Parts: sequence; C-alpha cells; structure tokens
Amino acid sequence: MEIVQVLAYGILLGGVYALLASGVTLIFGVLDVVNVAQGAFLVFAALFTWQIWDAFGIEPLLLIPVMGALMGLLGWGIYRGMVRRVAPQGPGMTVLLMFGVALTLEGILNLVFGNKFKSVTPPYFTESFTFGELVLPLPQLISGILGMLILGGIYAYLRLSWAGRALRASAQNREGAALVGISSVKASSFAFAIGAATAGVGGVLLSIMYPIYPATQYDWIARLLGIVVLGGFGSIPGAVIGSLILGMTEAFANTYLPQWSSIFFYGTILLILLFRPNGLMGARTREDVA
Amino acid sequence: MIANLRKPRVFVPVILLALLALVPIVVQDSKYYQSVLIVCFLFAIMASGWNLISGLAGYVSLGHSVYLGIGMYTGAILGKAWGVDPMFLIPLGAITAAFVALIIGIIVLRTRSHSFVIITIAVLLAFQLLAANLKKLTGGSDGIIVQQPSWAVELGTAPYYYIFFGLLVLTILLAAFVMSSRLGAGLVAIRNDEGKAASIGINTTVYKVTAYVLSAIPFGAAGALYGQYLGFVNPLGAFAILTSVYLVLAALIGGRGTLWGPVLGGFIVAIANEFATTTSGGVSARVLIMGIILILTVMFLPAGLLPSINATIAKRRARSATVKFIDQESIATSHSDADTSLIAARVQHRDDGGDTVLEVRDVVKTFGGVAAVDGVSLALQRGSITGLIGPNGSGKTTLFNCMTGTIRPTSGQVRLTGKDITKEKVWTRAHDGLGRTFQITRLFKSMTVLDNLVAPLERTSARQMVAGRYSGDEVDRARDVLAFMGLQEFERQNAAALSFGQQKLVELAQVLMLRPSVILLDEPASGINPTLIEKLATVIRRLNEAGTTVLIVEHNIPLVLNLCDHIHVLAEGKILTSGTPEEIRNDPMVIEAYLGPDHMLEAPGV
Repeated sequence: MEIVQVLAYGILLGGVYALLASGVTLIFGVLDVVNVAQGAFLVFAALFTWQIWDAFGIEPLLLIPVMGALMGLLGWGIYRGMVRRVAPQGPGMTVLLMFGVALTLEGILNLVFGNKFKSVTPPYFTESFTFGELVLPLPQLISGILGMLILGGIYAYLRLSWAGRALRASAQNREGAALVGISSVKASSFAFAIGAATAGVGGVLLSIMYPIYPATQYDWIARLLGIVVLGGFGSIPGAVIGSLILGMTEAFANTYLPQWSSIFFYGTILLILLFRPNGLMGARTREDVA
Repeated sequence: MIANLRKPRVFVPVILLALLALVPIVVQDSKYYQSVLIVCFLFAIMASGWNLISGLAGYVSLGHSVYLGIGMYTGAILGKAWGVDPMFLIPLGAITAAFVALIIGIIVLRTRSHSFVIITIAVLLAFQLLAANLKKLTGGSDGIIVQQPSWAVELGTAPYYYIFFGLLVLTILLAAFVMSSRLGAGLVAIRNDEGKAASIGINTTVYKVTAYVLSAIPFGAAGALYGQYLGFVNPLGAFAILTSVYLVLAALIGGRGTLWGPVLGGFIVAIANEFATTTSGGVSARVLIMGIILILTVMFLPAGLLPSINATIAKRRARSATVKFIDQESIATSHSDADTSLIAARVQHRDDGGDTVLEVRDVVKTFGGVAAVDGVSLALQRGSITGLIGPNGSGKTTLFNCMTGTIRPTSGQVRLTGKDITKEKVWTRAHDGLGRTFQITRLFKSMTVLDNLVAPLERTSARQMVAGRYSGDEVDRARDVLAFMGLQEFERQNAAALSFGQQKLVELAQVLMLRPSVILLDEPASGINPTLIEKLATVIRRLNEAGTTVLIVEHNIPLVLNLCDHIHVLAEGKILTSGTPEEIRNDPMVIEAYLGPDHMLEAPGV
C-alpha cells in the first residue's frame, strides 16, 4: 500500500512540475531560448501570492489568473525589450541574458521580502484527503490536479486553436511561417508570455506546497531544466514524462532514502544522456546530422 | 610569445602583471588590497580556464566552478588527513579536477549547445548535493575547517598573494600555449562548424574532451589553495552557481576566445563585486548589481572589451589603408610549373584494394518507411572521374552521406581501398584518404584562408595537438596549394569575405591539404558563375592527372558529361543505369527519369 501512496504522491508532484517545465520547453521550441529565469519567475509569483494572502487573507488559489496574467505580461515585456535584441547572437548569449534577469529578480525579491522562508498556510494546509488507505495531503492534491488541468488546457489550446497552430508552425520553421503570414515576433512574444504565465500559475500552486525564499529559484530552475533535458528540448509530452520521472524519483527517494532524491534524478539524467544525447523525446535535428 | 614582446598587446599586460607582483612590497599596509587582488587573481584564473572550452570551442559551461569546489575539497580533505602543507596539495587539486573532468567531460560533451549549458549546471548542483550528503568524507553541510599552515600565521596574506599570482601566470601560459597550438586551432574550427571540422580530420571528441580537462586544471589548483586561504570549505560556498556566473561574466566582459580578455574581465568583476559588497552592503544588493551588469553586458557589449577595442583600431587602420583590387582572372589559373606531387594522394596503395578505391556494396538507407537508398552497389576505379547524377529525390545526397559518414547506412558496406569503413567516424575516413566538399560551402568563417588551409589534420596524436599552429611544412604546403588553385592573393582574407565561388575553391584547396586518395564533390558547380565552373573543371582534371580519384554529384549535366569517365544514374534509390558519357547521353531511360515518359513523344530527333 505504501507503494501506491508514494506513486500517487509522485504523480501529483509531477503534475505541478509538468506545468512549469512545459513553459520552459514551449519558449525553447518557438524561440530557441532557454529560459533559465523560469525559477525566478515562479519564486516571484509565489512571494507575491504570499504577500497578498498575508495582507488581505485572500484564498491563494483565487490568485491563479492574476499571477498568470501578471507573469505573462512580464514575460511579454522581457521578450520585447531584451530577448528579441539578443536573440541574433545565438543561444549561448540568450541563456546568459536570462541568467542576468534571474539574478536581477532574485536581488529585487531579496531586498523586498528579505532572505526568509515564506509559507502560505490557508486553512486546508494541514488537511488530508483519505481514499481507502490512501492518504494525500490536500495542498499537494489540489496543486497536482490543478497543474495537470491547466497544462491540459494549454496543450489543447495549442493543438486546436489558430493561434496555437501559428505557434507550432513558427516553432518548426520560422521563415516558412513568416512567408504564410505568421509574424515571428508576435508568435515569439506570445510564446514567451504563455511560458512565463505558467510560472505565474505554478508559483501560486507551489506557494501552498513549499516554503519559498528568493534563493530557492536555483532549486526550482535546476529541477525544471533537468526535466526538459531529460524529456527532450521543445517537446511538451517529453516535459510531462520528465516531470513524472522526477516526481516519482523524489517521492520514492523521500520515502526510502531521504536527502538523496535529487542525486538520483541527476544520476538518471546523466545516464539517459549517455545513450540519448537529445533526451527521451528529442528529435535529432538536421543540424545534428550535417 | 617572447619574440613578440615588442607588440603593445603583449608588453602592456606583461608590464601590468609585473607591477602587480610588486604590490605587497611597495604598498604600505596593503593587506586589504592584497585580499581584494587575491580574489581578482582567482577570478582571472577561472575565467582563463573556462575560456579554453567555452571561449575557444564555444561549449558554454555554466557550471565550471564545480572544479573549483573539487579542488577546495581535495585540499581540505587531504590536508586534514595527511597534515601536509597546502603548497603540496595544489597539484593534487589539479589532478583530481582533471580526473573528474575527464569522466564528466566524456558524458556531457556528447550533448550540444542548450543541453550542454544545462547539463553543466546540473553537474554543479549534483556535486553540491554530494558534498552535503557524504557526511563522513566532507562533514556534510557544516563543512570542514582548514588549519592554517605556520607560514600563513607568521607572514599573513603575502605568501597566498604570491602563490595565487604564480597560478595566474601559469594559467595564462597554459592558455597562450593552447591558443598557439594546433589543438587551439582545432577548437576554434569546432566552434565555427563542428561537422565540417570532423570532415577534415579533426577528432572532435578527443579535442573537446582535452580542452574540457585542461580547462578544469587551473580551477582544481586554485581551489586547493583557495580552501586553505578561506580556512573553511562548505558545500554551498564551494559549489556555488554564483561563482560560475561571475566567471562567465568576467570572460564575457573581457572578451571570450582572447588570451587577455578573461584576465581583464576577472579583475573587473572581482573589483565590481567588492565595490558592491562594501558600498551597498549585503548579498542581496550584490546579486542585483551583478544581474544588471550581466544583462547590460549581453545587450550592449556582447563581444567583450578587448575584441571591441581591436575592432575599433582595425576600422581606423582600414580607413587609412589603400584599397587593393584583386585580379579575378588569375583565380584558378593554375601555375603550369606547379609540382603535381604537391597534391598527389598520400595513402596510395593498400594490398587488397586492387583497382577499386571506394566501393559501396548493397547500401540501403531507410528513413521510417521510405528507402532513400535501396540497395546500391558501385565502385570507383583508381584514377577515374566518376559522375553520380539523378533527379531530385533520387537518393544522391543520402548515398553521398553514407560514403562520407555523416549518416550510417541501414545495411550494406562502404569500403575504402579495401578497408571496411562503414562504421568509421567521419575524421577517421578523412585520415584514411577520403576528402569531401560541401554543396553549400562550410569554411570556418571567422578564420583566414590560410588558417582554413592549415586546419586539416592527417591523424590524431598528442604530438600533433601540441605542435604549433603554423609549425612544420603545413604553411608552405598551404601556400603551394593556394598557388596551384590561383588563390594566393587571398591568403590573409577572412573566409567570410570571399564570394561563394571563391569559397568553393578554397574548400577544395582545404580538402587537398590532406592529400586524399579520393575526393567526393557535392554539387561543385551549383551557385557559381560559368567562368569559374570552367576553371573548376580544369582544376579537377589536373587533380585527376596527379592520380586522385574523383566522384562528382552534380545537376550540371554538361559538366558531368564533359568531365567524367564513367557515370552512374540514380533514380528512386536504385542505380538506373551506368556507362560512359556517350552511353548515358543516348539512354532513353535517363531522359525518361529526368523529364518523365511523355517527353519522348514531344522531343523530335533525340
């Protein structure tokens, strides 16, 4: 029974990770930019959620649309103001740019919130949901399910809507998409906004699960990048699989071998990359062959 | 380097370094300055080391401070266990870092660009966790307190100052050596175009791993000393991602890929860091300030200070220089007195090769359900010029790639002078005497024509790697080959400055440097003007006279019919027909394959 418990816990954890990692992989797919500031974005959203909850006692989950929109706007602005200008210099430079953004955000958050853990503790924080012998903490359950639902919504939107098709077209062939009337700047801004918005939503979800302070951005970005590398860059299904693997490893390791959980995950990544340098779902691109 | 001491770009930094050596002696009460300068030295050491893999080869590592941490822990753990002076631990730190880098490098260098950046961060964080969890060895997150040696108690920071200074000088010498060697040239070639580098015989795996290991050595050495200097080693301090960011920022500000840029950048970042800490107080402001500096540098000074200054000087000089026009007519007018032994094949005979130089046997390559090449067998006779033609989508390029090794056939064999090379790496094929050019030229754009010509390697060996960039007879040979092609005027031009047709000729010259026994030309005539096509034909003929076997994949049918002894026609992945130009010209099947069946009805008098 313990196994089932751990399994369920891992899936729920994976659901939140999947949402956040999809944001990273989406931005990469469309723009070829590794958003290493995703961790800073989500810590930013989580700390603002804490601030509002602390000041007004508003139910944190109600802030999901607000934070999503806020971070989406921030992402849009960062793309228009900075990323667009640096992009022609290649992927190495945009990574460094986003690292600069992450550090700047961390610095600002440090000055505003200080270097202390903040926890959002709504009334259901300590409650659990019991299903037979299965006991699931309510915050994890809510966050995991909401994360999966929202990701499902985004995925369906990308698959079914015109805008989603335009994004995918732009991701596959920017020049080709431009020839049939898809502005790559608009598609890229949109992708960056959605990617950042997932951090806004994910930040709220994480705020009720974990205590957060500015420097935790490194832990989060490390997890997200690990997932994306494992799953294969640019692939949303890959991000979901990577997230579930990480969720499971963490859940299992937390139960059986605490403190070693992250090591297991990194070890798995290194092992998989040894055999599949482009990740589980990553395709070998033409450039790799030529 | 000694010989160039008169040049400002060499003597200015050397004098500045010499002045730094005097600081503890000349400046009174210099303890504070010494401690700031030690951090400057440390950053300069790290940025210079990082530059070897990330600046030269273009593999941006964001986790390189992992090797500083490994050096710190090596020094602390062994120092405690053996009670020896830290001086002796510096080489051990370097060795440990090199050993770990070898193992990690072999894994992470399999990935490229984005994945590489990220995996390097993951490695750093993994080591941070390891250090925190291996409590028996590392003391866990509490860390290890390192005893100060007796000399540090008596003499203060001055000895540390000089040892760090010495390590910096050694690191600069290492970097200067790598940059002037063929290893350095090969790394720059890899940064420019890794696939192309492999095709001219550069063993990219060995080169990258070597650069990665060399880049870790200064970190390990400095780390062993730095742990002693701090007197305390813990996981968060030793394996800090911020250290990585700082050193990358340092190399970026100064100028990646240059010798002195990372050193200059190291001083700038360390001083800015010190300034931020003392004036605004606290880590938060420092992180904020460094973040803003990083954003500004990436946005407004992406090339770095030194390259930007150099570009400005070059522009000013170019303005005053007289423009010299190059006589286009002389291009590819090969000198009649050129010695044909110059370009004669290097690997001439192998016992079981017989008359066949390159052979494919029953090669099949499928992509999913599509058989792009469907059981092709053909052989190139020694000393022949063979043509491979066929309509678009007939499998020419796929077959070509199977021969050159960029893709591996699903089944079948590729043999070069009797040796099975089906599974050989691209560079091994180049060593074995197979040369190729590309349809869209892939010269190393940031390098001069001459540098492009001396880049190819006939083998992989340690001696070759440490040899000087322009050592041996390569430069003379390169000039001779350029003269043979009529390209001698372009020697000092940047490859990117040439026209497309000129680039094609330079690429052919580059391949000739390896004295291949067989050259595969991928659409040599596409995209260049008719005069140049004629000259190209002359060059190919002369090459052939010198004994080189040639395979041409081409859409320009008149050129193929004119040049080749033997032609294979490919259609739908199979050989449709083979024969002499005369036979192919009159074969109705060929005309049908190209123009469709109806053509015969409308074309009178074929």
